[in-house]
Amino acid sequence: MILLLRYIPLLLLALLLWTLVRKRSYTEAPCFFAYTIFAVAAGLARFVVHDHRQTYRLIYWITDAGYVLLGMLVMYEVLRTVLGNLTRAWWGRLIFPIILVTGISMSIGRASVVPSPLSGLEHYMLTGEIAVRVMQVLVFAGLVTLVPLLGLRWRQYSFGVATGFGIYATIMLLTTTKFSDFGTRFKLLWGWTSIVAYSLAVLIWIWFFSVPQTAETPSPDLSASTPGDLKQYKDALRRMR
Amino acid sequence: MFSIILTWIIVAWGAVSCIYMLRCAWSRFPKRDVEVDDVIPFLYPVDISLAESLLDPATEFECRWKLGPQFRETQRKRMRLFLELTRRMAHNSKVLVKYAASEQNRHDPRRAALASALQEKAIEVRLYSLVTGIKLRFWLLLRADILNAAPVLAHLRTAGEIDGLQTYSALKVAAAAAFVQLPPDELDSLTRNL
Repeated sequence: MILLLRYIPLLLLALLLWTLVRKRSYTEAPCFFAYTIFAVAAGLARFVVHDHRQTYRLIYWITDAGYVLLGMLVMYEVLRTVLGNLTRAWWGRLIFPIILVTGISMSIGRASVVPSPLSGLEHYMLTGEIAVRVMQVLVFAGLVTLVPLLGLRWRQYSFGVATGFGIYATIMLLTTTKFSDFGTRFKLLWGWTSIVAYSLAVLIWIWFFSVPQTAETPSPDLSASTPGDLKQYKDALRRMR
Repeated sequence: MFSIILTWIIVAWGAVSCIYMLRCAWSRFPKRDVEVDDVIPFLYPVDISLAESLLDPATEFECRWKLGPQFRETQRKRMRLFLELTRRMAHNSKVLVKYAASEQNRHDPRRAALASALQEKAIEVRLYSLVTGIKLRFWLLLRADILNAAPVLAHLRTAGEIDGLQTYSALKVAAAAAFVQLPPDELDSLTRNL
C-alpha cells in the first residue's frame, strides 16, 4: 500500500504524458514534454529497482541530475515564451541568466552555512537541486506578480508549467529550510511532503494542458471584414486623428 | 547568513504567490464576462496631444531656456501631469485587457483574434505605463531635480523599448477594430473616451 502511495506521482505523470500527446502540446512546450517523458522513465526505473538498495541509490542520483537539468531547461522555455511576447528589450535576455546565477549562488551560500549529511557528488547534486527550486520559485512568483500588474492571461501553458513547479518548489524549499532541524523525523516528513506536493503539481499541469489555450495570435484563415465594418472602422479612425 | 535570509524572502514570496493563486482560483470561477457596456463608461480620456507636447524635446528645451531657475518647479508640474496621463493609459489598458480576455472566451474566432490583438497592445501599454510610472514617482519622491539638473521628460518617450505614445495610438486602432460592431454613437464615445 505504501509502495503504491509512493508511486502515485508516476501514475499521474503517465496521465499527464497521455494528455500532452493527445493535445499535441509537444509543439508548444517541447522542453516540458521532454521533462514529462524523462519523469515517467525515471519513475519507472526507480520502481523497477526499488528492492535493490545500491542500484536504487545509483539510479536515484542519476535521474536526479536529469531532473535538475530538465528543470532548468523548462524554466528557460517558460521565460522565453512569456517574455518573448512581452518585451523586445535587450534586458529581457538577461532575466534567465540573472535568475540562474541567483539560484546557484543562494544554493552555494546556503550549503556553506547549513551542514549537509551528504558528501561528494551527492552533496553537489543536492546543491544543484536547491538552486533549481529557487529558480522555479523566482519564475513562478515573478509571473504571479506580473499578472495583476500587466493583466496577463493565466490560461497559457507556460503559466501552468510555472505554477506547478512554483508550488512544488515553494513547499519543498519551505520543508527543507524550516524542518531540517527535526532530525530523523525530517526524512519521513520530507518524503511524504514531496509526494503530496509533486502530485499537486502534476494535477495542476494536467488541468492546464487539458483546457484549451485561448487564441494567441490572429488566425490567417479569418474571413475579411464586411464593407460595412470597414467603413465604420475607417470612420472611427478618422475621428481619432 | 545573507543567503539564508534571502532564501526565506524568496520562500515567503513563493508562499504569498501560492495564496494569491488560491484566492484567484476561488474567486474567479465562474468568471464574469465583461460586456461592451462595462468598457466605455469606465475609460478615462487621454489627451495624446498634451502627452506629445510634454515629451517633445524642443518644447522642453525652450521651457528650460526661457524659465531659467523657475524651470525646476515647472518641470515637477510637467512630471505630475505626465504621471496622471500614464495612470489613465494604464487604467484604460486594464479595462481593455479585461474586455479582451472575456472576448477570447467566446467561440467566434474573428472576435477572438481581434481581442487578442487588442490585448497584446493593451499589455504593452501597461508595461510602458508601469515602467514610466516607477521612473516618474522615483524622480518626484527623491526630488531628482535637486540632485540632478532636472530630469528630461523627453527621455520617457520609450521605456523597455516600447514607444509609449505610438503604442497607445496602436491600442486605439486595435480598440476601434475590436469594437467595430458597435453603433456609431457608441463607437464615437469609445474613441472620445480613449
